[in-house]
Amino acid sequence: MSAHPLPARRWRPGFASWTTLIVGGLLLWSLWAIEASPERLARLPAQLAQVLGFFWPVDWQYGHTRVLPAIVESIQLAWIGTIIGAALSLPLAILGASTLFPWAAKVIKGISATIRAVPEILWALYLVPIVGLGPFAGALALGINSVGMLSKLGAEVVESADLAAMEAVEAAGGSRLAAIRLGLLPQVLPELMAHWLFRFELNLRASAVLGVVGAGGVGGLLLNTLRYRQFEMAAAVLVLTVLVVLAIDMVSGSVRRKLLRG
Amino acid sequence: MNRPAPPPRRLGLWLTILIGLGAMTAWSGISIGFSVSELVCNAAGGSRLLRESWPPDFAFLPRLIGPFLETVQIALIGTVVGAVIAIPVAVLAARPVSPNWLTWILDRNFMNILRTLPDLFWAMLFATAVGFGPLAGALALSVFSVAVISKLFSESVEAIDLNLTEAVRASGGSWLQMIGLGTLPQVWPQYAAYVLYAFELNVRGSMVLGLVGAGGIGMILETQRANFEYERVTMIVLAVLVVVLLIEQFSIAVRRRLT
Amino acid sequence: MSATAASNDVMIRFRGAGVTYPNGVVGLQDVSLDIRQGEFVVIVGSSGAGKSTFLRTINGLTPLSTGTVEVSGQPVPRRQGRDLRQLRARIGMVFQDFRLVRRVSVLNNVLIGRVARVAGWRSVLNLWPRADVELAFSALERVGIVDKAYTRAGELSGGQQQRVGIARALAQEPEVILADEPVASLDPVTCHQVMEDLLRINRELGITTLVNLHFLDLARRYGQRIIGLQQGRLVFDGAGRDVTDADFQRIYGRRPEEDDFLQEAST
Ligand SMILES: Nc1ncnc2c1ncn2[C@@H]1O[C@H](COP(=O)(O)OP(=O)(O)O)[C@@H](O)[C@H]1O
Ligand SMILES: [Mg+2]
Repeated sequence: MSAHPLPARRWRPGFASWTTLIVGGLLLWSLWAIEASPERLARLPAQLAQVLGFFWPVDWQYGHTRVLPAIVESIQLAWIGTIIGAALSLPLAILGASTLFPWAAKVIKGISATIRAVPEILWALYLVPIVGLGPFAGALALGINSVGMLSKLGAEVVESADLAAMEAVEAAGGSRLAAIRLGLLPQVLPELMAHWLFRFELNLRASAVLGVVGAGGVGGLLLNTLRYRQFEMAAAVLVLTVLVVLAIDMVSGSVRRKLLRG
Repeated sequence: MNRPAPPPRRLGLWLTILIGLGAMTAWSGISIGFSVSELVCNAAGGSRLLRESWPPDFAFLPRLIGPFLETVQIALIGTVVGAVIAIPVAVLAARPVSPNWLTWILDRNFMNILRTLPDLFWAMLFATAVGFGPLAGALALSVFSVAVISKLFSESVEAIDLNLTEAVRASGGSWLQMIGLGTLPQVWPQYAAYVLYAFELNVRGSMVLGLVGAGGIGMILETQRANFEYERVTMIVLAVLVVVLLIEQFSIAVRRRLT
Repeated sequence: MSATAASNDVMIRFRGAGVTYPNGVVGLQDVSLDIRQGEFVVIVGSSGAGKSTFLRTINGLTPLSTGTVEVSGQPVPRRQGRDLRQLRARIGMVFQDFRLVRRVSVLNNVLIGRVARVAGWRSVLNLWPRADVELAFSALERVGIVDKAYTRAGELSGGQQQRVGIARALAQEPEVILADEPVASLDPVTCHQVMEDLLRINRELGITTLVNLHFLDLARRYGQRIIGLQQGRLVFDGAGRDVTDADFQRIYGRRPEEDDFLQEAST
């Protein structure tokens, strides 16, 4: 506390003004560096309108022979990635809770932070030469990333759980493992499962990118149609992808809400 | 007192769910060619790859500085542009302060679709429009940032204290004044946190976009990979790891001070 | 004095027992006493006097730093492990905050009392033997809430939850029940009901029962024997009906105040 109850007020540029100034400066510098001149930006709307025009009319010709199978593959590899993530993250979430295993938690949190820092596409980059081009590599890449994410979120759920019931199990002669199964798991499992489902939604979105390095899913098809300027077919890929992803989000979202309520 | 009858065990329901999940997993696993044996058999190839990837080529490091700078620039532009556009998008999609039902529903769906379109698409779209390079990447990340920030931010706006908002309205303020004086001041800290979070995502995202030719470190990565220069690839991956972790720590530190 | 009871029916024996917590706080200091089989003992003392510490040394939830505690002649193991778990299986514990798993049924909570007696895979898969389910049901019958067996524990009132806690302890078929301020979170009426339950179980089944209490009138009314603790030391040990206000003053180190009584509204 200051000794003067009412210090003399002097105008100072506040935190907000400084931030705006610095960010503004960095922005201008970045724009200059990537050669985003005003002329280029002025031309952008017209160019964009022209390109968007290419996407019409939507070409459904390969809808069910190529697009749908690719989307299905995306769903499959997202699913397997999520299953891998959920299965491996469950023990890691418990071992990674500092309230239960202070020592192991530090190690596990470090490892999962490292895993999370590497974008899944880089994992795929290494996995493709090992297991070959295709969705298996993509599923593994998503799996690795999911383990990192889900262990962190899971450990947070476990850390916020009430450990009192666990002590009751141990007081009745139960082992640590029994205390975790009977006293902890019923508390945290619904929340963990909600995280798994949300990770599935995110994995499905991520799977649309893995195709870039040949790791399967709808991404490869999207990339190729756009690269070879088959915009009308790309439109079909986009429309179907958006519809499927939104539908799955809706189902998964309502299951998640049910899990968290019950 | 009588013992209650056990509730119906709904064994059928549970069995159906379990079998459904199992079938989904089996079907997916088989279709994508999941096999542990393949993993084991390819261990030899894997170890060769690892040997080729090690040690990282440190002599290559100086040549990464330029591309990294470009990655950060792309991410910065994307974040700032996205952050500005996200404000109206988020406010109009927040139920309690949205001016009317139609705006709300339209904006909400707009946000959902934006979020669902892959960033890969935006990168290719802008690359087709303005040519391959960092500008296309920055534009794609702008759209991506709008999607990320507006989703989170509109949830924060929905959770504000409406009494303050009402007070501005009651003293004769316009809708814009209600937003500017009664709503946004309540949520600036969250907004700043989301913007920082989007910046983290954008640094990662710009690597993906680089792979399809939208500038930055991803582009170097793609060329080295195509030439099987795996010692350089490892160098890039390690550098990426360090940069991402640094930015994350910076962002966490700032966010902690904000809240 | 009961501290010199004949050794053949001694259930719990403290000898020079002391607890110093890792942070240096002394929780219990040089306590020596015997508790005979079938006794109903109430432990009183102000907050922080060491009542919980005293109880928790008996089932090894808090390890002793000095001295010994024996339960029917067997010293409480200091290390975690099978020996300690087998001892704990014979000692039921009831907590102030109930410590139920709120999301699962009352029956499943009571079955936790059987955890040390059934094969590990059975408790993991929630496939309890019929005989153990039977035991859980009769424990619930004894505390009068068998009709709630399939209700979620979290949906019950405080008094009902504490009965589930007692049933869980009973399901262990214990030789000793330790109750750590079992009524501190309950309203006066429920409070007496729960105390009556504990007393009845003690009489009917002959289970040695130790109850930590905060309220003096409850202690005087239910404690056949009262043990007074102050700053971790034993300062009183005598029959409940003989306790005078002067004794309480000694235990609390001050004159009893209104807060120390539960105002006998129900009687
Ligand atoms: N886990 C612990 N770590 C450190 N000090 C503790 C711990 N548990 C209790 N204490 C301290 O030991 C003393 C006795 O506590 P406790 O046995 O809980 O008393 P009571 O149950 O009579 O209120 C208190 O001073 C308390 O602060
Ligand atoms: Mg206590």
